[in-house]
Amino acid sequence: MRRARRPGRTLAWQVLICLCILSIWQWGYDLHDRLPWLVPDLLDPYFISKPSDIFEHFLILSCLKSKLGVFNGWFNGEFGRCMARSENNLWIATAVTLKNTFFGFVTGVSSGFAAGLLLGRSDRLSAIFQPFITAVNSIPRIALAPIIVLAFGIGDTSKIVTSWIVVVFLVFFNTFEGARSIDEGFVNAARLLGASEWQITRTVVVPSTMAWVFASLTPAISFALIGVIVGEFIGAERGIGRLIIESEARAEASGMMVAVIVLMLVGVALSALIWRLQAYLLRWQQHNLAE
Amino acid sequence: MHASQFVASPVTRRIDVRGLCKTFQLAGTAIEAVRDVSFSVRRGEFVALLGPSGSGKSTVLNMIATLVKPTSGQILIDGTPVVPGQATPNVGYVFQRDTLFPWRTVADNIGYGLQLAGVPVAERKERIDACLMQAGLQDFGNAYPSALSGGMRQRAALMRTLVVEPQVLLMDEPFGALDTHTKIDMHDVLLRIWEREQQTVLFVTHDLGEALTLADRIILFSARPGRIKESFEVDFARPRNAVKIRETPRYAELFQLIWHSLGEEFIKGRSP
Ligand SMILES: Nc1ncnc2c1ncn2[C@@H]1O[C@H](COP(=O)(O)OP(=O)(O)OP(=O)(O)O)[C@@H](O)[C@H]1O
Ligand SMILES: [Mg+2]
Repeated sequence: MRRARRPGRTLAWQVLICLCILSIWQWGYDLHDRLPWLVPDLLDPYFISKPSDIFEHFLILSCLKSKLGVFNGWFNGEFGRCMARSENNLWIATAVTLKNTFFGFVTGVSSGFAAGLLLGRSDRLSAIFQPFITAVNSIPRIALAPIIVLAFGIGDTSKIVTSWIVVVFLVFFNTFEGARSIDEGFVNAARLLGASEWQITRTVVVPSTMAWVFASLTPAISFALIGVIVGEFIGAERGIGRLIIESEARAEASGMMVAVIVLMLVGVALSALIWRLQAYLLRWQQHNLAE
Repeated sequence: MHASQFVASPVTRRIDVRGLCKTFQLAGTAIEAVRDVSFSVRRGEFVALLGPSGSGKSTVLNMIATLVKPTSGQILIDGTPVVPGQATPNVGYVFQRDTLFPWRTVADNIGYGLQLAGVPVAERKERIDACLMQAGLQDFGNAYPSALSGGMRQRAALMRTLVVEPQVLLMDEPFGALDTHTKIDMHDVLLRIWEREQQTVLFVTHDLGEALTLADRIILFSARPGRIKESFEVDFARPRNAVKIRETPRYAELFQLIWHSLGEEFIKGRSP
């Protein structure tokens, strides 16, 4: 962080790199016939589309343009008709995926956190459950997704459950480690000041594990999203994962790319949200660095 | 001024320790930390437990504080046996190590005990402010402990214990990590509070000067296994001034006397 004093420069470099990537993506394949040794086949827009096509497709998928490439008017009702007609347009897909991610994340984090605290603070319980947890944790959770879809159907529930199952262990293990590594000095101090077991949990155990829990939340939100998308791949009526499958069936790289970019933006936004929450809840840690 | 000639009636005995023993099991080997320790502390008395490192002072204090379960022996506070693992009401403890909660501001740390007891916010704030003032931390109420110096942290920790007004104070080398001058400052702070509140204090230290400055009586521990070797009355007039007291001839005299005895234990403690 020694050079962080010139944010303008950093930004300039970042923009430059972006422009380079986009330009190569957009025009790189045009050189393929002349310079085949320089331009790999993978740059073929058939596989990876190109920025202008992706943007065009974004407008179509989000009902802003008709399939013929004409802008849908808002006032003449074209936009509304398109929205009503296409079951899985970009707006609905994003909303559905976000909603399921949110529920998967929230249920996963809360149950993982609760279980982590419980087992982390009780040698007895952790000894009993240890082998089960190790066993279940050794299963690649994503492998359970088809079973979950089979059991819960192609509705939203199966996506939430898939998402939950990938998140819960992550948060559980972090909380568990956090609860294990609590400084007993704090617990003793609280106890001698008259704290009951419950008060100790609330005022000492929870805050001391917070840093550990937060360390798992950024990966947890990506995992939640992955869980939902995989669930949608396997069977769904709506959602971004479904959108990708539909485009793939039509061999439409642009459609897939639109979905991927939306996923990226969603992921970034959710991570930023977590980051803000963390900065607030763990503000006492910031003081170690500042001043 | 020699061992156990001091007799108190049961009524005035606040802390009563009888035949206390503690053996730790550490990786299969038994470590005898404390052997047959008996003493009592009168109501309002300031007693220092002095001894070389590893002589079991903290262990004795922790047993009284219910943090460690005795192997055998009895501990009575106000005539009632203490229950290991269960805090005794009206007993406050100041740790050897900094245990301020880093996630709470200084004011919230001090107010912690009041919050547990369900004291209303307005009263809580008033008492916290009084404590901050007493500790000279008025400007640091909203700071987190990480922004404080070692001495300030220790004052805050002291106030966190004192704010609930315990009648018995157990202190385990609370100023051990401070430099000499800060330490003497803290002695004055503690003496002023003690003169006003007249708590019963059991103060663990390996610093003879500290023990002489603060205590009415010094109980000297032998090297491990900890036993009571001797006990000394410290008869300086009260109120005491932590700086001036060190310049009196009586201080030098007592220092000499105890220093010799303590030195023997330090040497014993060092040899295997
Ligand atoms: N939890 C424990 N497990 C095993 N041994 C212990 C434990 N606590 C203390 N001991 C042992 O008991 C002995 C006395 O320790 P104690 O902490 O009471 O000494 P102390 O007089 O307070 O020393 P110091 O002045 O260095 O703090 C030491 O030899 C130590 O190794
Ligand atoms: Mg000690």
